[in-house]
Amino acid sequence: MNEVHVGQKTYQMPPPDGFSVAHFITVADVERSARFYEKVFGGRIMTMGNNVGAPGFIQIANTWLIVYFGGGPTPDKPTVTLSVPTDPDSVSSFMNIRVADIHACYELWRSRGAEFLTEPKEKYGETRCYIRDPDGYIIEVGQSKPDFAYG
Amino acid sequence: MSESKAATSQVQVEQKIYEMPPKDGMTIAHFITVADVARSLRFYETVFGGRVESRGDSKGAPGYIQIANTWLIVNVGGGPTPDKPTVTLSVPPDPDKVSSFMNFRVADIQACYKLWRSRGAEFITEPKPKYGETRCYIRDPDGYIIEVGQSNPGITYG
Repeated sequence: MNEVHVGQKTYQMPPPDGFSVAHFITVADVERSARFYEKVFGGRIMTMGNNVGAPGFIQIANTWLIVYFGGGPTPDKPTVTLSVPTDPDSVSSFMNIRVADIHACYELWRSRGAEFLTEPKEKYGETRCYIRDPDGYIIEVGQSKPDFAYG
Repeated sequence: MSESKAATSQVQVEQKIYEMPPKDGMTIAHFITVADVARSLRFYETVFGGRVESRGDSKGAPGYIQIANTWLIVNVGGGPTPDKPTVTLSVPPDPDKVSSFMNFRVADIQACYKLWRSRGAEFITEPKPKYGETRCYIRDPDGYIIEVGQSNPGITYG
């Protein structure tokens, strides 16, 4: 049993009805990634998966991170190959952690071993910084400014 | 089955309600770089019943759309920026080389396949049985893949 509450609704993984949204990342080492997200963000490891196709699942705040090795193509995506980031500086999508107190998160997560690209910096609508995870993924950490609900 | 008991006993531990923006702690979203913010918002709204919370603005505020338990944040590419001095954001340069993606775990994959297809989603294939799950993929307007998967009975995390 694993659930999160968003607004008035409860979401479960796996969902008994409807759907729950997770974030998948291809990793070099499932256990290393699971431990990183557990230690830095207080994530809860639901399963480490196995070597025959089951991925690791980590619940973090309102969502789940699914981690597994690369590979493919597979019959359900016959042209697609999964790999860890080949160039960590060329990015299209990433996990975005919106926080209530960015300076507190910066200090806490740094003390737990997170590597930040820079300290939090002022931007239009928000204060922002980025973490690199063990495979080189960037993770945005951002706090919207008081006048911006969605900065 | 003990599921309802488990739910009752765990509500105490999992009371937290997540909001955007968070009043305390954190709330996790997924960011994608897009070519056209309005087009992407419309797609995620139409196909998945997402709720558009902000369309962003021309000065750099992104679009926000709530989908189930999470939020999708969409904006145009660019960079580097002072807080990521070596990183450039772009739409997927090669949509067949993928590292991360949104993963929609569903209760009834055949129903989702039919419904989301009827709303304009382009699936790469029909749902196919895999180890532990039944699975298929959607391409979004920028070429991102979205996994749609239903765990097999008896396998909690397929």
